Amino acid sequence: MLEYILSQIVIRALIASLLASLTSALVGSFIVLRRLSTMGAAIAHVCFAGAMVAYVTDVDPSLGALSMSLTLATAISYARSRREGQSEAILGAAIGISSAIAALALSLSREYSAVAFSYLVGDVLGVSEREIALLFTASTITLVIVALLYRGLKYSTLDPETAEAMGLRVEVYEYVLSFLAAVLLVVEMRVVGMILAQVYIVAPAASAWELAHSVEGVIAVAAVLAFISAIAGFSISLAFNLPTSATIGIVAAVIYVLSLLLSPKRRGRCLLAFLKRECRV
Amino acid sequence: MSSCKPLIAFSHVDVAYAHELALIDVTFTIEEPAFTVIVGPNGAGKTTLLRAALGLVKPVRGRIIVLGIDVEKDPWRVRRLVGYVPQRERLDQTMPALVRDVVLMGVSLRKPLTRRLTRRDYEKAEQALKRVGLEELWDEPFTHLSGGQQQRVLIARALAAEPKLLLLDEPLSGVDPQSQEAIVKLLSEMVKGGVGVVMVTHDLNPLIGYVDYLMLLNKRVIAFGRPSKLLEPEVLSKTYGRRVHVFRVGSTCFVLSGDSHA
Repeated sequence: MLEYILSQIVIRALIASLLASLTSALVGSFIVLRRLSTMGAAIAHVCFAGAMVAYVTDVDPSLGALSMSLTLATAISYARSRREGQSEAILGAAIGISSAIAALALSLSREYSAVAFSYLVGDVLGVSEREIALLFTASTITLVIVALLYRGLKYSTLDPETAEAMGLRVEVYEYVLSFLAAVLLVVEMRVVGMILAQVYIVAPAASAWELAHSVEGVIAVAAVLAFISAIAGFSISLAFNLPTSATIGIVAAVIYVLSLLLSPKRRGRCLLAFLKRECRV
Repeated sequence: MSSCKPLIAFSHVDVAYAHELALIDVTFTIEEPAFTVIVGPNGAGKTTLLRAALGLVKPVRGRIIVLGIDVEKDPWRVRRLVGYVPQRERLDQTMPALVRDVVLMGVSLRKPLTRRLTRRDYEKAEQALKRVGLEELWDEPFTHLSGGQQQRVLIARALAAEPKLLLLDEPLSGVDPQSQEAIVKLLSEMVKGGVGVVMVTHDLNPLIGYVDYLMLLNKRVIAFGRPSKLLEPEVLSKTYGRRVHVFRVGSTCFVLSGDSHA
């Protein structure tokens, strides 16, 4: 009986990790290619701050996280569509300010530290069927939106100047992409935690960019690497009794470092050159 | 193209960036499909003029008509009819794109983005790439190409969109002489096929003999007309603000400035 319950917990956790990693790889590919990796981190931070403020004020933390993340997504998309160069400053400020807000909210009572920890690292082994259903719904909606708007997302990522000059409303895709990231991070934060959610958005796609020569290639490789990170991290965490989210995050980071060292785009063989003491990066 | 619908008409256009005027009282009209080249020194407003024609920057004064459409009133309609070739140096050379992705973008942007690309769309893109002589590079990563090849692929993308008017921003910059010649000949053929071409360039020499209209721009239109009348040292020197020499060898003419940018 205990074995059955354990196997159900593990299966649910594995499904949640895979859903989160694959959907993030898809959205993350566009975010990373647009050099918006900091946006992933900033949205994750404001999600966390929103959840903490909502928790101490007795509101549903997911609502707090969603309202904060959508506000930041709107501000970033607006700033980027105006092209006045403040978007980077907004992201930097958002990370700092949201950290301060979260710290302030947490300082109000010591009992919130356990809650804060659960939002930071998630509770993938404790994921409920309802949470999996929510993650599955968010993943399906994301997939449908990306499939419908794929060419616009692709061209506004590859060459926004020409795309706009030839009639594509690139600012619409800015908003779509940041809203997708905002909603996805809120849903994933509850399951896999803020830290892993932002790793999932950035690391597999950044690794894939080093290895692939087309947008479709980046998405496919990112999905494969996200899958490998989730499976390998999950197995290692179970074998050595380590926190699942943190282990998956570290596996994803190791894959990223390896992709940098072995990237054919960096005339490859950086690792080999390093071993020969020729790499002077 | 009907004569009552000018290809491009600027009427007393001023464009400003942060209160500094980039274009001042620019007025000109190109009636029929022609090969028009805009030259001028750095900061003369050449790129701004193209961007204004597409409605990407709004004039603080004046009126712009492109293909018979008031750009301020309906910039999106203008953009959907015009082909645009950006400065190659401004493209992100780390972007993961195959040559076919770049050329298919021209076809894709001309149809509803939710509709699937058909076999006919792929053929259009392949033909456009063939016209620039690079059909064998269809599956190559764009960033693996030389500067000249990249520029030709960017022109193929614009061709694939079947534009009525083609705007090109420095398409000869950083391009080898053979590619320069191939590009200029192709553009000249397009003009003969009824497409208006407006090109911004630093380097006038590869174009002499092909150009129908020449504009000398230095924030203001210094001169606009047939090149035979404008390729005079006095007019060019006024545009660049320094001495420019014009050498004629037989029917060929060469322009040389202090920094060889004319």
